Amino acid sequence: MQADPTRKRGVTDLVGSLPLIIFACVLIYISFNAPNFLTLRNLELILMQSLPVVLVCAGLGAVVMAGGDDVVSGGIDLSIPATAVLSAGITAVMLSQGWPLAICAGVALLACLSVGLLNAALVTRIGMTPLLTTLAMFVAVVGVNNVITSSRRIDVDHPWIVALRAQEIAGVPLGIIAVALVVAAIYFALHRTRWGLNLQAAGGSRDAAEISGLPVSRLFGQSFVLASGTGYICGFFVLARGSGSSPGVQDNLMLEMVLATFLGAAFSTRRVVTMWGAVLGAVLVAAISIGFKSIGVNVFWTGLIKGSLIVIVVALSALAQRGR
Amino acid sequence: MDRTQNPIVNILLRFGFLVVFAGFFILFAAWNPVFLQGGNLLNIVEGASVLMILALGMTLIVATGGIDLSVGIALDFGAAFAVVAMKSYGLDWFGAACAGLIGGSLVGIFNAILVVGLRISPFLATLSTFFIGSSVQRIFTNGGGPISHRRMPEEFRNLALGDIFGVPTEAVIAFVLVVIYFLILERSIWGRRIHAMGMQRSASIVAGIRVNRILILCFVGASVTCAVAGLIAAANIRMFTPLSGFSYLLDAIAAVFIGAALHPRGRPNVPGTVAGVLFLGMVANGLNLMGLNFNTKDALQGIILLSALALAVAQQRARNR
Amino acid sequence: MSDLSAFSLQGITKEFPGVRALEDASLKVRPGEVHGLVGENGAGKSTVIKVLAGIYRPEAGNITIGTQTLSPATPESVHAAGVRFIHQELHLVPHFTITESVFLGQERVGRFGLDTAGMRADAEAFLRDMLGVTLPGNRLIRDLGTAERKLVQIARALIDGAAKVVVFDEPTAPLASDEVDTVMRAIRRLKEQGIAILYVSHYLSEITDICDRVTVFRQGKTVGVFDDITDASGSDLVYAMVGRDIADMFPKKGTRQTGTGFAIDGLSDGKTFEGISISVGKGEILGIAGLIGSGREELIDTIYGLTKAGSGSFTFEGQPLQIKSAAQAVRAGIVLVPRDRRHDGLVLPMTVAENTTLATLERNATFGLENRRAVSNSTEAQIKALDIRPPNPNAVTRLLSGGNQQKVVLARWMAKSARVFIFDEPTVGVDVGAKAEIYQLIEDLAAGGACVIVSSSDPVELQGVCDRIAVMMRGAIIAELPTEGLSVDTLVAATTGAVDARELADAS
Repeated sequence: MQADPTRKRGVTDLVGSLPLIIFACVLIYISFNAPNFLTLRNLELILMQSLPVVLVCAGLGAVVMAGGDDVVSGGIDLSIPATAVLSAGITAVMLSQGWPLAICAGVALLACLSVGLLNAALVTRIGMTPLLTTLAMFVAVVGVNNVITSSRRIDVDHPWIVALRAQEIAGVPLGIIAVALVVAAIYFALHRTRWGLNLQAAGGSRDAAEISGLPVSRLFGQSFVLASGTGYICGFFVLARGSGSSPGVQDNLMLEMVLATFLGAAFSTRRVVTMWGAVLGAVLVAAISIGFKSIGVNVFWTGLIKGSLIVIVVALSALAQRGR
Repeated sequence: MDRTQNPIVNILLRFGFLVVFAGFFILFAAWNPVFLQGGNLLNIVEGASVLMILALGMTLIVATGGIDLSVGIALDFGAAFAVVAMKSYGLDWFGAACAGLIGGSLVGIFNAILVVGLRISPFLATLSTFFIGSSVQRIFTNGGGPISHRRMPEEFRNLALGDIFGVPTEAVIAFVLVVIYFLILERSIWGRRIHAMGMQRSASIVAGIRVNRILILCFVGASVTCAVAGLIAAANIRMFTPLSGFSYLLDAIAAVFIGAALHPRGRPNVPGTVAGVLFLGMVANGLNLMGLNFNTKDALQGIILLSALALAVAQQRARNR
Repeated sequence: MSDLSAFSLQGITKEFPGVRALEDASLKVRPGEVHGLVGENGAGKSTVIKVLAGIYRPEAGNITIGTQTLSPATPESVHAAGVRFIHQELHLVPHFTITESVFLGQERVGRFGLDTAGMRADAEAFLRDMLGVTLPGNRLIRDLGTAERKLVQIARALIDGAAKVVVFDEPTAPLASDEVDTVMRAIRRLKEQGIAILYVSHYLSEITDICDRVTVFRQGKTVGVFDDITDASGSDLVYAMVGRDIADMFPKKGTRQTGTGFAIDGLSDGKTFEGISISVGKGEILGIAGLIGSGREELIDTIYGLTKAGSGSFTFEGQPLQIKSAAQAVRAGIVLVPRDRRHDGLVLPMTVAENTTLATLERNATFGLENRRAVSNSTEAQIKALDIRPPNPNAVTRLLSGGNQQKVVLARWMAKSARVFIFDEPTVGVDVGAKAEIYQLIEDLAAGGACVIVSSSDPVELQGVCDRIAVMMRGAIIAELPTEGLSVDTLVAATTGAVDARELADAS
């Protein structure tokens, strides 16, 4: 009378993993047409390119996990990229005035964490929706940063910052190692501690978490602070990549961050936004961008490709969901 | 939260937004007397017209329970289609305006296909529309250069520069749209259905409301509305500037949510949106008249926007307590 | 002996602005007993539970747990004293595992982060030894059945082993009748461990089945404590709760004219049910009985166009009908009072007036613009006709009681003057008083010539309300039984497959 459940599950799983398969096919296609695409050198380049996005995605992943994945009413933090440029801006300006790096980094940290705290307060105390709060915060922080840097490009040649780009340890770039460590630490915090599990429960079902006596609002607020922390660290990679603070980075970073994080949800088996999904999404998006460039696709087309990617991947995962 | 006994705090919470509105008004007026001159007040209204129209479209989508990140794209398409229709196909102003509206509606149709057809959430759907629409503009203009049309018909130019009985045409257009939107969203049976599905989709389906049809109409309607703003923008500067709509996005969202927070039950609504737009317009104008440096003005505007939103939400909560 | 109590509330008075929710109420539960708490909605049951939980602070009265008197009682001190609450809603995280859910908020930490293996072993052991089910600890909540989720919820509350009193608030509300047994077994096991249980439920059959003693609340007061509960106590309890008899719950079935009405022929959804053909005449009330998984819910959703039909056709008075969406069903005069009222029935943030007129907007409008006076007039008429309380068209429906919410849903469809009414679990979460009113309304609809379909998991309700009952099992209708002369026991037996229903149908 009923369809064989195991067979149906198999089909659903296949549809569910289609997003990854599609990505794999595109990458294979690229590697056939651009022979040096799959070289170690190029993979390194892709990773280096994706580092800032990976960092902010890990932060956004935490916020979405804590707030639920309904974009409009659940958890989202669009202000992370603005925090990143604020961190870069403050550091660059103070370095150019001759302050030691430690002090610059300290001041930037204070500024970034206060952005996170302010987000947390507005969302959990006043009850604003995160989307609105962080979007407005994005504008305000970028505005403040433009006052600090006077909207100028400021070059940074501090050896530590340059090292993030150029230094290698045992053949692996320092930047990749540093980001891997940060991501691993966030992973441990989110998946291997009580705090992380409680945070996930808060986002998975607010009611369940509240009934269980978890401080849901506080956990949600803490995720914003964590996110601002990733934005802070990301700031240094923004500095390293562009060898200085330059205005306008934030818009692109925000779009890439949202793109990668929600693509990542389509990769996870539970179909929810996870930190791993977000990080994987960030790397894959960078791979696709570089890949298409290396086979000579006009750069004007990248937006079209990214937009279509969201449509295909999200529509497929909606389809898989319906098949359940 | 406990009910505060302090009457001043209570009044501030209840009428906070009004107080802030008035406060800024007085501050700007005291700072620069020009602010209060009739011409300048008209300037505010005129300057806010494009944003007003965009925010109306956004109100409609937010009322359906979604959000539209592609309002700017619809504006761009409206402007592009109209300018190209005049420049390359020699259409008169009316033909061009129609072409612009059709161009804008393409954006809405695409959104509707994604949201209704493929069941992608409005946020992600309109985000991809934004990516794709931006890319299409870049490809079409070979990288984003403006398309200018110096010999634009006078009638078309008048959409932005003309006046009707002394009132700028664009303000009149915005006003007419505000009235239409008010009647539809707040006074008509369609508005009731839109609000119902925005608040509780499943219950609306059971009640026999054709939610998909409403969603499609709303997306197309909103994008056509935004295309009207595109016509005005194109007429104003006699050219189509690619990707210019994006700059209005945040203000449009902010205006809608300030407006929703002003509503007793927190619903997105047309009068609230109008109040939100006028507030943002007044602040922009007032800061300009203060003669601040460009960067400082931007930063202040961002901070005021954030505070206004926070206050509006806090006020709504205080009222519902 | 009788003075010994697991906990007792004495002389509790609790006031809200304008309402006295509890007045000198008392409740005493002995160790190792299952104590029932019953009363209509608004009788003060949930208030007294919140007082016990330390959420509300009463104006007067004592709270004693074991030997210690808590004043004031706070959620923390109550928890520390060993009182646990199993809330009506499941409140679990769908994508968490059983282990994660059981230890939510009370995770154990080992040397390298969480002690996952240890927690899993303990969770599985607890479910097996204390609640009598074997479940793997790494299974996701969303893959569990409702009864299993309920057990996970119970395990979460009791895993620390410190529980002395457990309060069950409507534990079986979301469950099908066969699932109820699973939960009941678990509760009996807990009782054997010497844990005192307070059992709050609308289902009197469960109360008489499992409880040793019962306290009855009415209008914020304790109106009776029953010491000897037997299966026959049900009508006494109802009498104490509402001050009238259980037989009065159901309306007298009037004599009605009949004629061909709504018919379904060969309906299949390709998954859960196949080849369903039923017809309901004008003025007839057809019941649909069936356990969870029998395809009853899916059938209702398909008739109403909420899910796609694979094959099959609909007719009304012999004329074919197209029903591919709920909107089409409504236009054809077929309306649904859904089982999940708060989700599907009402737009909760909207007012009574807005909800009542949602399906008849055109009637109160000119050129699409709403005539507010007409809206409020027609709403006020409906409020009066159905006795909706509070009688305020501008009340937000979220704040109404279950019974009144259900009446608002009904009011909307009455205004529509539909021809076919489908009721899906019409009285779930509705108190006894409102239940009787809803049954009367159903009867009135049929008397007025409408075709009525009532789908329900409550056999007493089906037997009391319907003229004829179609029994569903495994996606097919196995029998159609006239209710005249049909006993509730026979109906249950047919629904659960204990007797061959086809023979029953032949015999009658």
